[in-house]
Amino acid sequence: MSFSTKANSLIYSLPLFQRLASVRVRHGEAEHVFTPGFGATPRPVMWTEVLPLLWSIGSIAVITAILFVLDEPIAANLVPIAYLVPVIFAATRWGIWSGTLASLTAIAAADFFFFTPLYSLRVDNPQEAIDLLVFLVVALVSSNLASRLQQETERLRRREREIQHLYEFSKRLAACFTISDLIDAVGHYLAHALGQRAALFVASAGGHFEPAPGSGDSPSAVQDNVAAMTATVGATDRSITDESTQDVWLLRAIGSKTVVHGVIAINVGRGTREAIKLRTRRIETVLEEVSLTLQRLDIGKAMDDARLHLQAELLRDAFHGTLSHELCSPLAAIQGSVSVMKAMPAATADDRLRSLIEAVSDEVVRLDGHIRNLLNATRVTAGGLTPRLEWSDPRDIVNAAVKARARRLAAHRLEIRFDDDLPLLNVDSGLIEEACGQLLENAAKYSPSKSTISVQTRHDGVRVVMSITDQGVGVTPDEQRLLGRKSFRSPRHQASVPGSGLGFWIASTFIRAHDGTVEIASRGHGLGTTASILLPAPQTMDLELVTRDDE
Amino acid sequence: MSKPRNLVLLIDDEPKIRRFLRAGFEIHGFSVGEAENAADGLKIATFNAPDLVILDLGLPDLHGSETLERLRSWSNVPVIVLSVESDEDEKVRLLQAGADDYVVKPFGMAELLARSDAALRRYFKSATENPVVVVGPLSVDLVSRTVSLNQTRIKLTRKEYRLLHVLAVHVGLVVTHDQLLKEIWTGNQRDNIQYLRILVRKLRQKIEADPNQPRLLVTESGVGYRLENRMETSVAD
Repeated sequence: MSFSTKANSLIYSLPLFQRLASVRVRHGEAEHVFTPGFGATPRPVMWTEVLPLLWSIGSIAVITAILFVLDEPIAANLVPIAYLVPVIFAATRWGIWSGTLASLTAIAAADFFFFTPLYSLRVDNPQEAIDLLVFLVVALVSSNLASRLQQETERLRRREREIQHLYEFSKRLAACFTISDLIDAVGHYLAHALGQRAALFVASAGGHFEPAPGSGDSPSAVQDNVAAMTATVGATDRSITDESTQDVWLLRAIGSKTVVHGVIAINVGRGTREAIKLRTRRIETVLEEVSLTLQRLDIGKAMDDARLHLQAELLRDAFHGTLSHELCSPLAAIQGSVSVMKAMPAATADDRLRSLIEAVSDEVVRLDGHIRNLLNATRVTAGGLTPRLEWSDPRDIVNAAVKARARRLAAHRLEIRFDDDLPLLNVDSGLIEEACGQLLENAAKYSPSKSTISVQTRHDGVRVVMSITDQGVGVTPDEQRLLGRKSFRSPRHQASVPGSGLGFWIASTFIRAHDGTVEIASRGHGLGTTASILLPAPQTMDLELVTRDDE
Repeated sequence: MSKPRNLVLLIDDEPKIRRFLRAGFEIHGFSVGEAENAADGLKIATFNAPDLVILDLGLPDLHGSETLERLRSWSNVPVIVLSVESDEDEKVRLLQAGADDYVVKPFGMAELLARSDAALRRYFKSATENPVVVVGPLSVDLVSRTVSLNQTRIKLTRKEYRLLHVLAVHVGLVVTHDQLLKEIWTGNQRDNIQYLRILVRKLRQKIEADPNQPRLLVTESGVGYRLENRMETSVAD
């Protein structure tokens, strides 16, 4: 990827990022019930909740022990202040419940160890009772404040982290130029930022989904569900509970408005319905951004395609122009000059000179044939093959094809037969003639000179069939399979027979443009070939009347 | 070939094409004038009154068909067009615009000379009026409207004769489908080329030695028909 493209993507990414960030912040405020590190490898719930409480009680025990070793008057003065320390610590560190527990434990410890009567929870002195009450209130209030502060800090930190991740994500999205880039980016984001396990399935050619290479594992329940989906727009999104782990998996189609590129399965984990709803919402916001990116990719791809198409067209036009002018003009001059030379007295008098002139003339005809093939090939590849239909006599077409290739066929014996009842065909006679000529040329090329090439045109009621049969090298089943491909040449002949491999391809393309087919039949290697052009015959019209009226 | 030296004007921007055309025409007793663009060509045509014009379509200053139109606005001189592409529509357009015939590059001199000959003969027909057109074994008497094959009178239907008559008048030159349809039919049958194809089939059965491989009445694919004026049809010259 070039530097400039990257720079462009970054500029593009800014508004997206801002949009994303604002969505996030809004969500962040509504989400303060989220536990930090949500979705990270879950430790046993009991342990994570009980441990802070134990720590709170432990810290009170430590303070009590310290106060116990101090002199009594000093300790008595320090008691209310000293106990506030672990209370605030617990509240800040582990939250409101730890703070409250610490406050209650502290007041119990103070009463029990330091207020008379010692080692009893009873309080005799009203002054001391008030002290303890005030302490309790102060402890509770400050632990509450501290824990809120802690929450707020935690949330800010989390939001900052989220924004950072989102920024990275949107940067990655903007730099996505292919669908697989995008799938990588989504997988990475879900795994690293949200800590979700995700598995991706890409749409296959058959309209079903297959696991994307390198994407995460998913339980069989998810895989079965995805396998049953088809890649159609509006395929229902769903959630599935994996029976073995009780994890909830979300299945969501990834695609733009017009195409579904794949399905993503995301492990939302376990929890209350509320928590799962929140996580789902969060994931969906991400996926919305993904589908926006996809639309951008689709548009970008369409633009690339269009640009490529245009370039190809310009190139082809240039090629066409070059072929038809720069090559055809000199060829016309050579051909013309040779034809004049042939008629000159010097040439008619000298056999050697005449045979040289013949050779030049033959080569010019061959070169002209190659150029015409290339022109035809560019015409076909352009997709611009619109047959110019006109009612034509199949006899005229075959005769013209034979006449145009007469020189190539000169070394063979030619048998031409026509059925009597041939109907007229509504075809582009030029294209059919060219196709027929290509097959004739192949017949001449791949059969020994002096052998017979027979051209038979039949009408079997539904079709008109022009078959060209030679006594040549034949076609093996393997070659037959590959014949229709552009530029295919059998390795058997590559060294011995010149050619471009375009001929048969052009012929079959021209015939297909008329809803016809070209069939090759051969009894095998060395046993000759029959190439047949099959064209649909029109419903016969009784035109006889028209010409009979004046007989 | 006629005895007085006919002047042929070559309008083509390619010097190499002009060079062999000049040689070819001179060998066959023509005198030759050359122009490398349409403006010069039209000027020479005005002052030198050529007997035949060979016009290339790809001229640098003016498209060939436009040159043809300008020339036709005041002159009846036979014009044969040289075209690069074998585009049938273009050929038909040119013939309708007044070209007498065309050859497609690359072509041999013999082919061009045959066309030139036919065009000149038609042009000078009024002077050397011969009402009988003879092509190989076939002879068509345009005045008595009789047709014989190998000296034997043959009977044609009215439409068959009309078709042969039009082709014989233009012997050696291509006649477009449109022209033939208009000469033979009336009303909306004029637009139906199928009628023409069937009629040609029938006529061939009467005049051709092998109707499946016609030598006299030949098809110009996508353009029209031609009554061949030289029987020794060598294929590529």
